[in-house]
Amino acid sequence: MSFFLPVLLRNLLKGPSTEAFPFGEAITPKKLRARISFDPDSCALCRVCARICPAGAIQFEKKPDGLEFNLWHNACVFCGLCALYCESEGLHSTNDWHLSHLQSEKYDLVERATVKFQKCTKCGKQKMPAPLPLMAKLYPGLPADEIERLRAMCPQCRKAETAPAEGEPS
Amino acid sequence: MNAQIPSLLSRLSTKSPWLYRINAGSCNGCDVELATTAIIPRYDVERLGCQYCGSPKHADIVLITGPLTVRVKDKVLRLYQEIPDPKVTVAVGVCPISGGVFRDSYAIAGPLDQYIPIDVNVPGCPPRPQAIIEGIAKAIAVWQTRI
Ligand code: SF4
Ligand code: SF4
Ligand code: SF4
Repeated sequence: MSFFLPVLLRNLLKGPSTEAFPFGEAITPKKLRARISFDPDSCALCRVCARICPAGAIQFEKKPDGLEFNLWHNACVFCGLCALYCESEGLHSTNDWHLSHLQSEKYDLVERATVKFQKCTKCGKQKMPAPLPLMAKLYPGLPADEIERLRAMCPQCRKAETAPAEGEPS
Repeated sequence: MNAQIPSLLSRLSTKSPWLYRINAGSCNGCDVELATTAIIPRYDVERLGCQYCGSPKHADIVLITGPLTVRVKDKVLRLYQEIPDPKVTVAVGVCPISGGVFRDSYAIAGPLDQYIPIDVNVPGCPPRPQAIIEGIAKAIAVWQTRI
C-alpha cells in the first residue's frame, strides 16, 4: 500500500500521457531524420549522393542546360547518408515527417530541381557549378570576393590562377 | 425495419473502422511501429475510434507492411481477398510503396500497387507512430466516403 500511494498520486497529478496528435501538435525532436531537403544553389553536381543512396532514391537526369536532381521521398529510408557525404551542403535531413499521402499523389512526392551548367568567366567554356560552401572548404582563409572570383572559373583556369606554372605571372 | 438495419450499421461503422495488419515480408520495423500506435498509451490509435482485429473478415482498414516478397505474395493476395468490401488499404513504410532498400531484388514481387489497389501511402523506414496515425486518419476519411 505504501508503495502504491505515491505512484497513484503522481499519476493523478501528471495528467494523461497520451500525445495530443492528431488533435494537436506532435512532439518532434529537432534532430529527427525525415524529409530530405535539397538546395540547388549548393550542389556541385558531383553525384556522390546518387551513388551512396542505399535505396536508389536519388537520380540525375540530363537536361540541355544542366542536370536535373530527383529525390523520390517514397523510396528514401531517412538514413541521412546523402547529407553526410555531400561535401557541399546541398542536402540536409529535416524533421518534417508529414509525408503520408493519398495514392493519387504517389509520384508527386519528388524533390526536383535543375542545377545549371555555367560558363567559365575566363575561358568561356561550359563548366560544373562550384558552390560557395564547397569552395570555402577548398580555399580556407581566402577573402570572400576572391572565392567568388575563383568559383566563377572552370577548374583549369582556377588551377592556372591559384598555382601558376613557373615563369607565368600569377 | 430490415432496410433500416444496414443503414444504421453503416452509419455506426463510419465511426469505428477496424484495423487489420498484413505483413508482406516486412523486416518487422514497421510492424513494431504499428504495434506501438496501438499498445503504447502515448500514441493510442484507439482515440480515432478504430481498433486492431485478428480476423480479415472483420477488417475495414487494412495496413500492409513489407515489400511483398515472392514467397508471401500468393498468401498475401489470398488474405486480401478475404477482407470484405468496402475496405481501405494503407501501405505502411517505403517497402510496400516502392520496395525501399529491397527495390529490384530478385526476391521481391512488389511494389504492392501492381497487385492491390492502395488508397493511402505512409512513407518512412519505418514511419514514426505519429506518421502512421496521420495515415490512418487519412484512411478513415477515405473510409467515410466509401460506406
Ligand atoms: S547534392 Fe551534394 S552530393 Fe549530391 S551531387 Fe550535389 S554536391 Fe554532390
Ligand atoms: S537519406 Fe538515405 S535513402 Fe534518403 S535520399 Fe539520402 S541516402 Fe538516399
Ligand atoms: S519500410 Fe523499412 S522498417 Fe518498414 S518493413 Fe521496410 S525496411 Fe523494414
